[in-house]
Amino acid sequence: MGAEVADVLRRLAVAFAEFEARLDATPLIRRLTRGRFALEDYRAFLIGLRQQVKDGALWMSRAASHIEEDHLELRSRLMRHAVTEHRDFRLLEADYVATGGALAEIQGAEKNLGSEALSAWMFHEASKPNPFGLLGAMWIIEGLGRVKAGEWGRLVRDRLGLPDEAVRFLLYHGESDTAHIGEFEEMLALVLPDPAVAERIVKTARVTGRLYALQIEEIGA
Amino acid sequence: MASLRGPSYHWRMTQLADAYITGAGAFLPGAPVGCGEMEDRLGRVGGRDSLLGRRALAWNGVETRHYALDAEGRPTHSNAGMCAEAVRAALGDAGLGPEALGFLAAATTQGDWLVPGHAAATHGELGGGPIEIASFQSVCGASLMAAKAAWQAVRTGEHKVAVAAASEFSSRWFRPAFYEGTALVDAKGRLRGEADYLRFTLSDGAGAVVLEPAPRPEGISLKIAFIDIVSLAGQFEPCMWAGAPVEGRADPLATWSFSGPQAAHAAGAVALLQDFELLKRVIRAWVGVYLKKVDEGRIVPDEVDHLLCHYSARSLREEIVGLLEKTAGMIPQAKWFSNLASVGNIGSASIWVMLEAFLRTGRLRRGETVLCVVPESGRALTGFMLLEAV
Repeated sequence: MGAEVADVLRRLAVAFAEFEARLDATPLIRRLTRGRFALEDYRAFLIGLRQQVKDGALWMSRAASHIEEDHLELRSRLMRHAVTEHRDFRLLEADYVATGGALAEIQGAEKNLGSEALSAWMFHEASKPNPFGLLGAMWIIEGLGRVKAGEWGRLVRDRLGLPDEAVRFLLYHGESDTAHIGEFEEMLALVLPDPAVAERIVKTARVTGRLYALQIEEIGA
Repeated sequence: MASLRGPSYHWRMTQLADAYITGAGAFLPGAPVGCGEMEDRLGRVGGRDSLLGRRALAWNGVETRHYALDAEGRPTHSNAGMCAEAVRAALGDAGLGPEALGFLAAATTQGDWLVPGHAAATHGELGGGPIEIASFQSVCGASLMAAKAAWQAVRTGEHKVAVAAASEFSSRWFRPAFYEGTALVDAKGRLRGEADYLRFTLSDGAGAVVLEPAPRPEGISLKIAFIDIVSLAGQFEPCMWAGAPVEGRADPLATWSFSGPQAAHAAGAVALLQDFELLKRVIRAWVGVYLKKVDEGRIVPDEVDHLLCHYSARSLREEIVGLLEKTAGMIPQAKWFSNLASVGNIGSASIWVMLEAFLRTGRLRRGETVLCVVPESGRALTGFMLLEAV
């Protein structure tokens, strides 16, 4: 892989570290890591995550539809990715029900302020021609699955004494996203080197991290 | 009143001089202790073998270490005494006697006394006339805090000979009496993992370096290019600590002295503890700090000839090494020097004991650079020191 890919990956890793620090400082995650997490917190967490997960495959498909002919390989990858993930929110709903929650509650819940902002931002970016900056958003959101979901899932399960069936979404993402860095690197190589694209990817990652953290901050607020 | 920013300020500014490490010394008490003898030396909590010892050793990769406790568990040295030995050795290595010393910056995790500081205790053991001192208490990173003070003292011209020293006597904290009869041992007599792990991770010793405003006349000296220390305590609760129980440890009012020494001991608030779940997050944050230094151009991996880090590469998980490699941040393992496996993890003293051993190998050439990386899990801190061989 080229030096440009390594440079962007490094800047993305720094952006992710900042994002992680911001997440850890939110009231919800602080309660989780300090052992003050209640079942209502977990339910609110699932509701909050569902909005973003449901939108994820949609903005990814929209982004794919705005990728022009000279980047067909990237378009294929985004489309496949969207297909893989577009039913994941059902898993969140099943987890919710497994905690004793009512399906109608999670399905009928409104987006919180952060989810509104995040969703608007993602669809806005995805509607631009060749929206390569969204690779930065994928880095943040998938990094969350790779790095944090498993850890959160185990904490939730152990702290609340829940069976695995009620924490499948978090535990599943903790396992399945571990092999994805290599794939991501390949996607970066499809659009780099290009200084403007590199800047846009890093900036999109940082904005997405800020808004994602806002979404978590607003859970239960 | 003259403004600090006005012209009158400039005459007070001092041109900063360079400073060089002109000598290094180490002191390791007694003979190396193998993994099989550790519990004989430290003692068994409740008479039982440790549950986690083997796992801890597999993770940290330490094969032998030194203890300032004899076979019967009696101290052979004090913490300050070991520190003074390292200071003498470092001054000797620089071709200087103890009388040359002007400034002593001493670091430790836990001194022999609660009060006053470790530098005073070390000066007491060292003897000699009046000098300036400064004490630094943290964990591993205290070494670089002391080094930075010594470096600045030489750079500003306040001292011609400064020593940054560090020492640890961790093993005395690992004896059974620190745990037995406390909340750290459950009804079945099992010691909590937060306490048990560290007993197999840390050991004793001391190290020191001499700083002067000019290179030594013969042999290689190390010019200090920078010492950067980054604390992330604002975003992490204590990860390795003593003075608070496991639960509620982030609350300063829950610390040991508020309940008094006996109640605190019973609550398990006195022993040295480590949160290993939190450590995983701290390690990622360290990597983030490092990559930011690379991104800013402060650290250029390709220009580093030797890396000294008292974390072994093998203890970093594969995903972290993978991330460093993919982001062009990895310094190839062939450039890593470590004596961790043979001398153990000596906390704040580690970096100096490692540097002293590295200099003795004779592999350093003039013009080469040495990057020292000192991560401290305490409350998520990491330090970097870049040296150039002249």
